[in-house]
Amino acid sequence: METHRVQIGSISRDLPIIEVAPGVSVALFNLLGDAPMTEEAGKLLAAKLPSNVDVLITPEVKAVPLAHVISRITGKPYIVARKTAKPYMKTPVVREVISITTGKPQLLVIDGFDVDIIQGKNVAIIDDVVSTGGTLRSLSSLMAEIGGTVVATLTVFTEGDARDDVISLGHLPLYLKK
Amino acid sequence: MNSTSPVDMFALTIGGITRDVPLVRLASNRRLPLVEFLGDTQLCAAAALELQKLLPENAQVLFTCETSSIPLVHDLAQISKLPYEVARKRRRPYMNDPLIQEVASMTLGVGETLWLDKNRSENLKGKQVVIVLDVVASGGTIQALERLILRSGGKVCARVAAFSQGKPKLELKVAQELPIFDGVG
Repeated sequence: METHRVQIGSISRDLPIIEVAPGVSVALFNLLGDAPMTEEAGKLLAAKLPSNVDVLITPEVKAVPLAHVISRITGKPYIVARKTAKPYMKTPVVREVISITTGKPQLLVIDGFDVDIIQGKNVAIIDDVVSTGGTLRSLSSLMAEIGGTVVATLTVFTEGDARDDVISLGHLPLYLKK
Repeated sequence: MNSTSPVDMFALTIGGITRDVPLVRLASNRRLPLVEFLGDTQLCAAAALELQKLLPENAQVLFTCETSSIPLVHDLAQISKLPYEVARKRRRPYMNDPLIQEVASMTLGVGETLWLDKNRSENLKGKQVVIVLDVVASGGTIQALERLILRSGGKVCARVAAFSQGKPKLELKVAQELPIFDGVG
C-alpha cells in the first residue's frame, strides 16, 4: 500500500493513501485509536491557541479526542457539535449541511445547554483535517446564529490547497487522477 | 435516596469527582441520571483511573464505539499504555471491506449498525481485547462489539464500563452502578 509520511512533534506516522471518490485519494489521518499522536498534536495546538478564546467547539467524531486533550491542557471548555439530536437534549439547535465527501445531507446539532456556554463568547473550532472547509463554514454560521464569535480554527493538517485562515501543524496533499 | 420521590437532579460520583446531573426520562417512563463524558475532561480522567483498576493483566487492546466513550477510552489508553480501536456508526468513504454489525439498541428501540474498517479489525486479530464503554444499559452494544471482536479473530478478554444503569445483566465490571428512578417528576 502506498503511504505518505507525516511528522508531528516527535511522532511520525506513515498514512495510507486511500481512494475516497473516483479519481480522488487522500492520505488518511485518523486520531481515533492513536492516543500518543492525539496527545502530541493536542500539546502543540494548545500552545498555539489564541489567548482570547473562551470555548472550543469540535465536530463529531474524529476530532473529539483532540479537543478533549486541548481542553485538558488549556482549561478551556469544549463542546461537541453532534451529528444527531439526542432525546435528552434541551431545545437543540439543528443545522443541515451537505457533506463534501459523501454528498449526503448531514446534521450539526448543538444542545441547548451548550448554547448558553457559547453565547457572547469567543470560539475556536478544533478539527483534525481541514480540506475544502465545508464543515468550517457550516460550524461558523451555526456559531454566529447562536451568538458566538469564531476567532480561530485549529487543525492538525490542512489538505489540498494551502490556506492561511487556519492554525495548523502540517499539510497533506490531495491526490487527483486526471 | 428514595427512588420513588420525584427528584430532578442526581449527584453522580466517580473517582472522587461529583457532578449534579439531570434525570432523563426513558420510554418506559423510568428516569435515569444523564452521564456525559464529552466536554468533561475531569470526569474522564477520574473515571479512566477507576477503569484502569478493572483491566485484566493480559489485556492487549481496548475496543469501544463512537462517540460518547471516545475521550474516556483515550484517557484509559494513555494511562494504561494500551492501543485502542473504535467501531464507527456510519460507513466512511475511506473504508475498505469493513465488517458490518447490527446492534439492537434498547434505548431508542431502533436498530443501529457498527462499522469496523478492515485495516482496523486487523489490530484486534489474535489479541486479548477489552470492551470499554461509558454507560451500559441493556448490553446490546456490548454484544455487537463482541461479535466484531470474534469476527476480527480476537478474543474477548473483559467488558468494563464506568457506569451501568441498574444491575448489569451480563458479566461486566463496572466502576459505578446507577440507580433507576420511577416515573413521575
